[in-house]
Amino acid sequence: MIMPRGQQLLLPASPLFVFGSLAVALLVSMAVGIGWSGRAAWMPDLLSIVLVFWCVHQPRKVGIGVAFVLGLIVDVHETSLLGQHALVYTVLGYLAVMIHRRLLWFSVPSQALQVWPLFLAAHLLTLAVRALLGGAFPGWSLFLAPVLEAVLWPVFSVVLLAPQRRAPDPDADRPL
Amino acid sequence: MPLGTLDRTPPPFFKQGLSAVSKLLLFSALAVLLMVADVRFQVTEPLRAALGVVLYPAQWLAQRPQVLARASTELLQSRDAAQTAERQATEQLLRQAQRAGQVEQLLLENQQLRELLGLRERLGGRATAAQVLYEAADPFTRKVIIDKGANDGVQESAAVMDAHGILGQVTRVLPLLSEVTLVTDREQATPILNTRTGLRGIAYGDASAESWLELRFMAANADVAVGDLLTTSGVDGVYPPGVPVARVTRVERRADSVFARVVCEPLARVQGTRHVMVLAPLSDQIPPRPVIDKPRPLANPRGARK
Repeated sequence: MIMPRGQQLLLPASPLFVFGSLAVALLVSMAVGIGWSGRAAWMPDLLSIVLVFWCVHQPRKVGIGVAFVLGLIVDVHETSLLGQHALVYTVLGYLAVMIHRRLLWFSVPSQALQVWPLFLAAHLLTLAVRALLGGAFPGWSLFLAPVLEAVLWPVFSVVLLAPQRRAPDPDADRPL
Repeated sequence: MPLGTLDRTPPPFFKQGLSAVSKLLLFSALAVLLMVADVRFQVTEPLRAALGVVLYPAQWLAQRPQVLARASTELLQSRDAAQTAERQATEQLLRQAQRAGQVEQLLLENQQLRELLGLRERLGGRATAAQVLYEAADPFTRKVIIDKGANDGVQESAAVMDAHGILGQVTRVLPLLSEVTLVTDREQATPILNTRTGLRGIAYGDASAESWLELRFMAANADVAVGDLLTTSGVDGVYPPGVPVARVTRVERRADSVFARVVCEPLARVQGTRHVMVLAPLSDQIPPRPVIDKPRPLANPRGARK
């Protein structure tokens, strides 16, 4: 296995955890989006971070098809145009799968710097789709959202990889 | 090293499925197709309804934190605040009781006058009480989701009001939920009547500014003043007449335009209302359009000459 020097050997990811984390991210973004915070243009899209994360780390489990279905679900929940999030998540999934071999050779902070253009592209695509249909411009704070999503990348990297960093042979000294 | 340490399933050599590019093209095309079908042909409603029903438990779960937070703040609200609210409510009730007495009398008088004039009874519609579940998390539009859907008899294009005025209009009905476009949405137009002058107009939402309405196509010399109350006009056959909509807050008359810029503030609490009333559209109570024979052309002298 070719991997960067000094990196910890990870346990195989459990599909239950991968898809469970996607479901939890969907629920959390629904819960966060209920009040005033949902309409704020700078609100980072938590689901898209988790989606890109798994597209990069587990491209054989989570790919463009999963992204499309998730986008469709978000569309129905937000009663936005059916297919808008599906298109954006599809493109996001594609870009993430495209960079997944390169990205994991970098340290986590520089990974955040490299996923920022992905999120920016996703938001620009949303803006373009809505502008075509005559939506209102939600304000310049929209461009804060991809920055916040990139800033949250290291946090998600730690949390979502924690189960794979457990000891392979738990004993009394290392129970987890 | 124990056995489960590494992922030992090798990546498939030959059965790799579609390439990423073809997957991107396939799913993007599907998404664009869905968008076109949604916007142009409105044929995706069954898919949306089915997904909405499947998604309902998840939405219910996602609302629990907010519901819990709301319940706990209500629980912790101090006694003083509750007493003040109760005193105010009593005073308001007294005032309204007095008014209600007048209303009875006025109604009777009005009924007699109308019968006298042979007018049709004023149109009154069915109303359904509903609760706002959540605001659609979409910075491009202004929409809320209410907890009554097609199962409760909500119809599309029904007007929705809260205690203060018109809140919006039902623009999509799912089996268990409905989507309400607020009056401040950029694509929402509300027919209004200026109660001071009787002037009719159309108020458009202006979502780019913070929850404002704009009265478009008002002639620069139209009689509109700051503080005018705008109510629904009732000429559209959808909204019941006489429900307050907005109050004029700014009138700009510019030399370079034949129209005045009239900005109004919605009276309904578009930012955080919970209890709303869905008023069934009046279109089914309105008599059908009279059939008028096509005007026949007068005898054509040229044709006659042939």
